Amino acid sequence: MTDENGKFESVEKVSEGFRRAGYICNTDIATTVYLAFHLEKPVLVEGPAGVGKTELAKKAAAFMDVPLIRLQCYEGLDESKALYEWKYGKQLLYTQLLRDKLDQVIDREKDLGESIRTLHRYEDIFFSPQFLEPRPLLQALQKEQGAVLLIDEVDKADEEFEAFLLEILSDFQVSIPEIGTVRAKTRPYVFLTSNSTRELSEALKRRCLHLYIPFPDPDLECQIIRHHVPSIPNRLEKQLVMFIHEVRKLELKKAPSISETIDWARALILLHAGGLDRDLTRKTLNTFLKFEEDIRAVDEKLPLLIDKALKETA
Amino acid sequence: MDRVLNQFIVSLRGAGVPVSVSESIDATQALTISGYGNRQVFKSTLAATLAKSVAEKEIFDDCFERFFTFQSPTATLADRQESPEQEQPGDMPIPGIGGMIREGDMGGIALAVRDAARSADLQSIRFFTQRGIFTSRILQAMQLDQLDRVVADLYRQGGGGVATARQLERGRDALIDMVRRFVDEQYEIYARESTERIIERYLWDARLTELEERHYDRMQFLIRKLVKRMNDRYSRRRRRAKRGALDFKRTLRANMHHGGLLFETHWKEKRVNRPDVVILCDVSRSMSTVVRFCLLMLYGLNEVVARIRSFIFCSSLLEVSHVFETSPVAVAIERLRTGEGLDIHMGRTDYGSALWDFTSKHLDAVTGKTTVIILGDARSNYGDPADELLKKIAERCRRLVWLNPETPAMWGTGDSEMRRYMRLCDHVMECSTLRHLEQLVRFLVKIP
Repeated sequence: MTDENGKFESVEKVSEGFRRAGYICNTDIATTVYLAFHLEKPVLVEGPAGVGKTELAKKAAAFMDVPLIRLQCYEGLDESKALYEWKYGKQLLYTQLLRDKLDQVIDREKDLGESIRTLHRYEDIFFSPQFLEPRPLLQALQKEQGAVLLIDEVDKADEEFEAFLLEILSDFQVSIPEIGTVRAKTRPYVFLTSNSTRELSEALKRRCLHLYIPFPDPDLECQIIRHHVPSIPNRLEKQLVMFIHEVRKLELKKAPSISETIDWARALILLHAGGLDRDLTRKTLNTFLKFEEDIRAVDEKLPLLIDKALKETA
Repeated sequence: MDRVLNQFIVSLRGAGVPVSVSESIDATQALTISGYGNRQVFKSTLAATLAKSVAEKEIFDDCFERFFTFQSPTATLADRQESPEQEQPGDMPIPGIGGMIREGDMGGIALAVRDAARSADLQSIRFFTQRGIFTSRILQAMQLDQLDRVVADLYRQGGGGVATARQLERGRDALIDMVRRFVDEQYEIYARESTERIIERYLWDARLTELEERHYDRMQFLIRKLVKRMNDRYSRRRRRAKRGALDFKRTLRANMHHGGLLFETHWKEKRVNRPDVVILCDVSRSMSTVVRFCLLMLYGLNEVVARIRSFIFCSSLLEVSHVFETSPVAVAIERLRTGEGLDIHMGRTDYGSALWDFTSKHLDAVTGKTTVIILGDARSNYGDPADELLKKIAERCRRLVWLNPETPAMWGTGDSEMRRYMRLCDHVMECSTLRHLEQLVRFLVKIP
């Protein structure tokens, strides 16, 4: 893709542009996004659930003003669901409708060899782009203006699918036996996300830039919350972020993510809270903790955690 | 800059990040785009192109901070030089490093050390025993012998030269110190991993019973690595296509929208089931380390093993599955070791009564799907071996595996009942090193 509006002129510009699109990013993220654009390489994003991996791709599409094409991976995902499929139904329908026409073409009078030879001349009709159902990967290659291609949770797909991705990600072209090679008109900007449920292959990693998004530090998280919940009082915001950070230090089944922090902030605003207190926190624990055991564990240590959060922000 | 980047990549590889050639090319390209102006951007650039997993990112951070932090190693040299030996400046120019010492040219000395290190090929250092050699090579490259000659000459001339000679001598000692420290630092950067690797190789074949306590942490780390590898490898094998048998129902269903024409075929798949495991561990003192690491491994293998029920025995037998359910594995194992809150009689090991306890109270834990593992040295202190009870277990379960930490040559000697027991087992193996534990996993996933 070309950088017409100078959006990718420098790391700072990228960072600024994402901020305007509604995504607060640190230097790591901004630098990687900036590099990926200029090197035309895919970005492999890893990190705990809910830190905004998918959001990054969405906001990148908004920032670049191109469509987002998303491919959700799951076990058993194969080429026909990811790349293209023939519209078998349409093909059948057309052959039914055109039966008479076909009869004419083949001309029952001729012998078998002749008929088959005649038929051979027409077979391309049924395997032409009109009968091709493009799936996300092919769609991304076909977009004239370029696109952001998000391959979500690639670790859930099978090993074979990963190998298949390699061809597309390194050359941005695919071969369809009946039609030929389809080359990207404009190289799409690719994000792959992974929750590290399994190790991805070395070959795939080698072709990508790697970005690890951890839970943000308190400052960054404050900025994110302020962005999403502008009406939050300053004091509450600081206390809330400190509290969440203390909670993340505990050994929980699922640590609260950024999106959950935002939910909680919204909930507290609805309840007209000016600052954290024990009672209110206890009642709203379930907005950011999603397991009974986690809620119990935090509840036990609640006074201590609240005290810490208040002391840090005092 | 290319050379510095190369050195950095060498140090990353040394620390265990496998940087490929294409990745180092990417890094060079990326740097020409993002530039060297901002340290944070520079670091992010390298991190994105060179370190490709969370673990690698951590190593990368560590290496980066070590490598790109320039501590002026000459600070000590400067302190010692402040002696007031400046009364006769420049009566005779001293060549090479001596001149720099005389003039207190710290930057020059630091550069000279780096240059000498490069010509001595310091980045190829791998073992801590090489430190002496590299130190002397660097000093040689800095022409220390020439400095010695100058000092000797100055002494011979006497007069004002003596003071200079003293200053040079002090400078030389400081320089040697400095080079030594520099080599130490660089060794840390380039060779940390290789020493680790030697220890690792040793630990793979070290007998668990004789393992020293200071290696426990490392051993646990190795087991975690092993477990991860095994989980990765065998989780994928759970579903494997069985060639040849058409799954007619699924094929029909998948092709309904083709008007009954069979475009896509589906084949019957065979699921490789994960085994249920019941493990009986002898926790007498001679066995405690083996039990510790074996349990640590088994409980990590959640991709390979479906369910584990664990029992420990010495004089009597006790189920301890609940300990593992309520606390993390490492904590649970520690609790087994101390025996805290567990009602077990730690007298003489008695296999007969342990087997009796098991068959009378817990035999329902064993079904046709269970793999029973007994971990013990089969030394029953000449008590009744009760092998008919073991036979009862063997008949009930799918597989009976006996792991013995002693070498096969010792089986059946003295009070060992191993010969008697092994006839009843489906599989008997020695289990005294990490390698044996790995073999155990291979065996567990093979379900007949």
